[in-house]
Order: sequence, then C-alpha cells, then structure tokens
Amino acid sequence: MEHLFTDTAYMLTSWMVGLGIKPVWADLILLVVQWAIIIAIVTVNVIILIWLERKVSGFIQERLGPNRLGPFGAFQTIADAMKLLTKEDIIPSRADRWIFMSAPLLFIVVAVMLYAVLPLGKDMAVVDLNVGLFYFISLGSLSTICLLMAGWGSNNKWSLLGAMRSVAQMISYEIPLAFSLLGVVMIAGSLNLGEIVNAQNRYWFILLQPVAFLVYFIAATAELNRGPFDMPEAEQELTAGVYTEYTGMRWALFFLAEYTNLVAVSALAATLFFGGGQGHWLPSWIWIIIKTYLIMLVFMWMKWTFPRIRMDHLMAFSWKVLIPVSLANILVTGLGIEFFRGMGW
Amino acid sequence: MKMFGKGLLKGLGITLKHGVEKPRTIQYPEQRPFLHQRFRGCLEFDYRNCIVCGMCIKACPNRVLSFETAPIEGSKKKRLLSYTIDLQYCLFCNLCVEACPTHTLFFVHNFELSTDRREQIKRVYTPPAGVQVPVAAAGAELIPPEALEPEVDAAAEAKRRKQIEAIKTALSKGGQKVLAKYVDTEEDAAILAELLQADEKKRDKVAALIVDDKEKARKAAQALVAKEKSRPAGGETQ
Amino acid sequence: MIETQTYTINIGPQHPSTHGGLHVEAIMDGEVVKDAIVHVGYVHRSVEKIAESRTYAQFVPYASRLDYLASHLPTLGYVQAVEKLAGITVPERAEYIRIILAELSRIASHMIFVGSLAIDLGATTGLVYCFRDRERIMDMFEMSSGQRLIASYMRIGGVAADLPEEFYPAVESFLNDLPGMIAEYHGLLSGNEILQQRCKGVGILPAEDSVAYGVTGPNLRASGVDYDLRRDEPYGIYSRFDFKVPVGQNGDSWDRFMVRIEEMEQSGRIIKQALKDMPSGEILAKVPRILKPAKGREVYHRIESAKGELGFHLVSDGSDRPYRLHIRAPSFINLMVLPLICKGGTLQDVITNIATLDPVLGESDR
Repeated sequence: MEHLFTDTAYMLTSWMVGLGIKPVWADLILLVVQWAIIIAIVTVNVIILIWLERKVSGFIQERLGPNRLGPFGAFQTIADAMKLLTKEDIIPSRADRWIFMSAPLLFIVVAVMLYAVLPLGKDMAVVDLNVGLFYFISLGSLSTICLLMAGWGSNNKWSLLGAMRSVAQMISYEIPLAFSLLGVVMIAGSLNLGEIVNAQNRYWFILLQPVAFLVYFIAATAELNRGPFDMPEAEQELTAGVYTEYTGMRWALFFLAEYTNLVAVSALAATLFFGGGQGHWLPSWIWIIIKTYLIMLVFMWMKWTFPRIRMDHLMAFSWKVLIPVSLANILVTGLGIEFFRGMGW
Repeated sequence: MKMFGKGLLKGLGITLKHGVEKPRTIQYPEQRPFLHQRFRGCLEFDYRNCIVCGMCIKACPNRVLSFETAPIEGSKKKRLLSYTIDLQYCLFCNLCVEACPTHTLFFVHNFELSTDRREQIKRVYTPPAGVQVPVAAAGAELIPPEALEPEVDAAAEAKRRKQIEAIKTALSKGGQKVLAKYVDTEEDAAILAELLQADEKKRDKVAALIVDDKEKARKAAQALVAKEKSRPAGGETQ
Repeated sequence: MIETQTYTINIGPQHPSTHGGLHVEAIMDGEVVKDAIVHVGYVHRSVEKIAESRTYAQFVPYASRLDYLASHLPTLGYVQAVEKLAGITVPERAEYIRIILAELSRIASHMIFVGSLAIDLGATTGLVYCFRDRERIMDMFEMSSGQRLIASYMRIGGVAADLPEEFYPAVESFLNDLPGMIAEYHGLLSGNEILQQRCKGVGILPAEDSVAYGVTGPNLRASGVDYDLRRDEPYGIYSRFDFKVPVGQNGDSWDRFMVRIEEMEQSGRIIKQALKDMPSGEILAKVPRILKPAKGREVYHRIESAKGELGFHLVSDGSDRPYRLHIRAPSFINLMVLPLICKGGTLQDVITNIATLDPVLGESDR
C-alpha cells in the first residue's frame, strides 16, 4: 500500500522504456500523467470540500446542511456545478474584456501549480524541487495579481475596492508567512519539502515551532481570503467584492481556485508542521490526506465563528504583531540552534 | 495586546458545542410544523351558517371579502348567491372572524397558499341550487351545522330529472318494452301501457319510481295490472 | 503633490446589509468615507394616507406592519392613541397582557439587532443563533394571536383574545433561558476581540448631537442621555414596574450594542413582574362597534418602541375614520444621523453604523 503510487509510476516508466521509448520521453509522459492526476484530485477535492464546508456550517448553525441530493446531500455540489455550467456568461459591456476573461483562468492555473512540489506522500512530489518551499511561496503571491486583474477588469467600484484590499492584504501577509516558514527551514536545513518531512523523524515541527505555526496559520488564512480575513469578497460590505461581475463558470473557477488554494495551504501546513506523511499503520498518502482535512476543518470552523476584521486593523495586525513576532521567532530559533550545537547535539 | 485571546477561543468553543448538538430545524415537506390552535392559515367560508349580514365586509380593512345576494320575495331578508374571498389582499388580521356573528368565516391551519396563477388565489363559494340556506336577520341564533340539510349534489339531481322526463315520454308513446321488466307477462305489459297512456298522473308516479326504486316500481305496476284485470271486462260495454 | 479623487459608491438599495430598501450614497476617498447621503422612501406604502380611509379599528393590522420586527409595539402605540382620543378605559388584565407582549416584542427586536449586527460584521453564525432564540418568542405570538410576525393582536379597548393556557409555561421557560442566551451572545459576539475592535469607537454620536437630531431610544441612551418614556412619561401601567434604564457613555457602536443587550435583560424583568401581578378579568372594554370620537379632538400619544420614541398624532373630524394620522417614526429620525457618524470612518464602519442604528425601513418609509 505504502508504495502503491510510486511503484505504479516505476512500472509505467519501465514498461514505456521496454516499448523502446527513450527514458527522457518516458519521464515526460509520466509527468503529463501525474499532472492529469493532480487536476483530477483537485476537482474531486473541491467537490468534497464545498460539500464539507456546507455541512460544517450547517452543523455549527444547528442545521443539517445539504441533505436532499444523494446520500447526505453529497451530490449537491455536482448539481450546483452543473447549474453554473449552464448559466449565461455575462461580460459587462464596459469591462476590460481580456483582463476580465483571463483573470479566473490564471487564478486556477496558479492554484494548480502549487501542487507541483507538494509531497502527497513519501517520495510522491510531482517535481522534487530543491527549493520547493521557495517555489510555493513565490507562486502563492501570484494570485494577488489575478485578483487585481479581476477587480480592475470588471470596471466596477465594488470589484476595484475588493481588488485593492486583496493586494494590500496579501502583500502584507506574504511577509509574516515567509518569515514564519524560515524557522522551519533553519531547523530542517533545506528548502526541499521532502527533506523537511524527513527532518521531522524525531519531533514534529509543531512542537519545536509553535509560534511559527500560529503565525503561518493566521497569515495563511489571510492569504486564502477566508473568514475572518475575507476582505476581497466581503459579502456584507462589498456585495461580492472582486467577484461581483462574474457569472456562471467564470465565477465557479474562482471558487474552485480558492478551495484548491485551501487544500494546498493546508497540505503545506501538514507537511511542514505535522510531519507530512509520517505516521504508523497507514500508508503515508493516507496520513497526509487525514492531516490536511483536519487542518481544513479548523479553517472552516474559524470562518463560521468569527466576524470579519476591519481593513486597517488587518494591516496593523500584520505589520505590528505578526511580523515582529515572526522575526523574534527566527531570532529565538537561531539562538536555539546555536545553543544546542554548542551543547554538542 | 489582548487581541486574539480568550474571546476568540470561547467563541470557537460555543460553535463547537452547537456543532455537535442535534439540529433544530425540521425537514419541512416530510415533517409538518407544529401549529398552535389559534394559528391563522387560510381563510375559509361556510355558506351554511351565513346570514348575509355583511359585517365581515364592513370589518375588512382591505376589501378582501365581497358577496352577491338576491332579495327574497315578500321579506326584507336576502339570499346568498356567492361569496368571494380574494385571499391575495388578505392581511390575516382576524377582524372579519371577530365581526362575524355566526362563525361563518374561520381560519384553518392550511398555510400552503401558493398557486400557479393569480386567479387561483381568489376563492368563490356558491351555495348549491335547491338547498335552503338559512335566512335569518342579524343576531339570530346560530344553527348548528349538523341540523342543516345534508348537502345535495346539484348535478345528480339534474340527472335524475332528465331520466324521469325520458321515461315519461317513452310511456306516453306506449313503452311496453320498458314496462315488461316490471310485470310478469307481455299481456300484462300491454294492459299497463294502455292504462298509463290514458292516465297522466299514474304515468308520472311510475316514471319517478322506476328511476328511484326499481323494487317499488315492480310492486306498483303489478298492483295496477291486477286492479285492471279484476275489473269486469264487459262492464264498460254494458 | 499627488491628489486623489473622490468617488461615489451607492450602498443600496439592493445591498446585503442595508436592512431593506435603504440607499446610502457614500462619497469615498479610497476606503475612507468623506460624506454619506441617506435616501429613504423605497418602502413607502403611504400608511398615513391609508389610515384616513380606514376606520379606527381597521387600521390596527396596518400599524403592526410599521415595525414588523416588533409588531406588538406599534399596534400598542396606535390603540393607546385611539383610546386616548375616544376616552376608553382598558381592563386591567388587558393592560398586563399588552405589557407582556410588548416587552416580548422588544426582546425579539433586539435579538434581530444582535443577529443582524453579527451578520453585517461577517459572523453568519451569530444571526442563526439569534433567530433560533427569537423563534421561541414568535412561537408565543403564534399561541396568543395566531400570527408570528405581524400579529394584529391589540384591539381598541384591550386585546383580541385572552392568553391561552400553554402561553404561561412557554414564557416562563423562555425567561429562565434568557440569561443563558445572552451569555451565549456575549461569548460568541461581544466577547470576541474582532467584534470589539469593529464596534468600539466606531460611529461616535455625541450626546448634544443626538439630542439636536431628535434621536431617541437605545441610540440616544447609548450616547449617555438617560431618557426612557417608559419611566419618564409612563404610558399604560409602566409606572408599576421596577426596571433599570441602561445608559451608555461614549455613544459608539459598542455602546449601542451593549445598551440593547442590557435592555433585553430589563425587559425580561418587566415580564416577570407583570406575570406575577396579572389579575384575572375582562380583556376587552365595551367599545362601540362604530367608534366616532368627538369632532375636533386631537391627540398625540408616544411610546417607547424598540427603535425609539414612536408617536401617533390622531385628528378626529367626528366620523368613524381619522381625519389625519401622523406617525413619528423613530427609525426615520435615527437614520438621519448616519452621515454625521459615518464621516471619517471606513466603508466597513458604514455597515457597522447602519446595523447599530437598527433602522426598520417599513417604519422609516411608512
């Protein structure tokens, strides 16, 4: 079980080589297959997640959530997706057409690209990049541009306000996010996500870096535009923020990308702080699914409990609290490493 | 800095507590909501109690109610022809029900009032023809519903009249075949047919009996034939 | 020198957080509100004109549609105004029933306030919990009057029907659970640091301004003006009850929130006392079927509704219909301070301010 996917990949490659295909080409074909699997995982995951979110919100609010279509309402999301697919695609006449149309596409592409370096199990990253974490953070900040494009292209004041908010918020929260991960990198001594997982053989980094985890968690919520930091959308203030003018499948793409991001960020948290695929009895890829889902449940729980924070407080919180705390965390981590090294560990 | 402290965790605790609780909602079309006795759903009208006093129409703030009446000859009283409740304008304020002296108007618990078309919201109540609607002056005593005549189906009554008419015409033109079912021999049928052709009163009676009660019609027919036979045949000629 | 341009953004009339058809034209500089212009009238139903073509008794259901979140309060104000006009004495028991239902309405209205504030600030779950608790009040209204939201239960000279048997245990268990409900709101909402930050110091309405604008009700008391008609000009039998009038200090959104939460507790106290003292007897005075107050009589009656001072000015011309009815709608007057308290704040503060002013557009637009 543990090596189910890696063995399959190996068999596939050797079979193709056996057919007389050059190893380079075989690797390339394998890569395409891996990407197809990733996209399938993303879509299925989002369908499950939307259902889960609605169930969680229902339970918290003493309701049942969707329960009509399929067992426990499991097919509700599929029905909603069908509905969105058949809806009219409206492009405002004054919108900047190309920017308006390409924003959701770029958003989803960026979101899917994050999965390239995530180890979805032991040795199961699509690309085993030696600067994986760096890649992840830098791609994560790309989504800001997509939201700005959406807000600017819509030619709507609500959208523009939402876009401006998202730019301010995401840029501010990039910094504590990156700093909080530095502590982990310092202890693991690598930017490769697989090696960071291996470094957690003795202790999970949540024990060594609790402050970093807290900062990461808060900053990630802001990066994901989830409640209580859902500024760009801010349904009660900006009607729908950057998504105001989007209809049908374009709107659904944003939704898809947001949940894709949620999975990626949670999976990264599981990888960096909870030992990735490490665990007994079960294969590593099941462990990472369990950990990711537990973290996502916490994200949902927070969203359905807290009110939205105000924009200026949000900025102040990032610059005045999170960044100093994460910097201090780096300092303490560095001192700790030197101290333990001096002790001869 | 106190921010992100106890309050947030407490809030999370509350939502978690309710998250594991049983839901409070009911699954509506399958589970019916519990309605209290005074719940006001749909406004209904019972023509059997109506005394045509018009108090409800005067009480209504929004002109929901209206009726058509006809005067009764030789009396100041009126007869109800039809009563209309235009429910789309109803405020469900209960003022008409309170004004009504005979509990003719009342609210029922049915709250599913949606209709496909606007015209269907309007409810028109017409007392069936041929039924004596209690006509009394305002303030008269309420007649309990069970004391009233049972409801007669107007359509069935019309059908009966038609059948009787048809049999009567048949009998006036002979109608031995019709009568053959009710007497023993062809001869008797001929005698009866002749008799009924001559006597219009007897003809009507037999026709009504044939439609209403076949057994009684047979007995009456045989009695008539026996009576005719017992009369001395030459009596007339003598 | 870089100059920024102001722009106008229309909050409403179709907007998730404007509590109905309210339209606020905000003149913005970035996220900062430079000025706000309130446009009302989207829900205008010409209620005052309707009153002129209805008999005195027939207007009761329209009165309950004024403030549909606390429908017993406007009907109470209206029937008391008519009773004053025609000189009708209400039976004791009816007075007590009226107080109980009016205070229950006030609690229901404040629960909506808490819930709508929560959802306007983004805490959807708060709304659901408040509606869950309010449902119990609606249930009691259904028991007593047959209708849940717009219960036309008050009648000129009393109430439509006596309280049913099942009402008493329901109200008692509700009052027992009320402190628990309020504790939950405190735990989920007012104890939450994010909500505190969004409310404290936001939309400050100074006492002088609130008096100058004619603001009444909890909004006025939050500004530190100790003024409650139930205590200062008791109508009905309010003088018999012992209750506190909660007063705020700063006049910000937080105080407006807290004052209402405390008012819920005080209303609970009044209901408890009323239930204890309630006599038995008649519930409806002998009122002529066609009520014709004397010609030329004129009366202004005001009550403390959930939103503020709700006044009814009735003029009689001797017929069975009022010559003129004017309604002093507290929501309308309270809304007029919105530009004042929004200036200098952010767009998010506008939402908070609308929520904490607690307008009901049905009453404001009439």
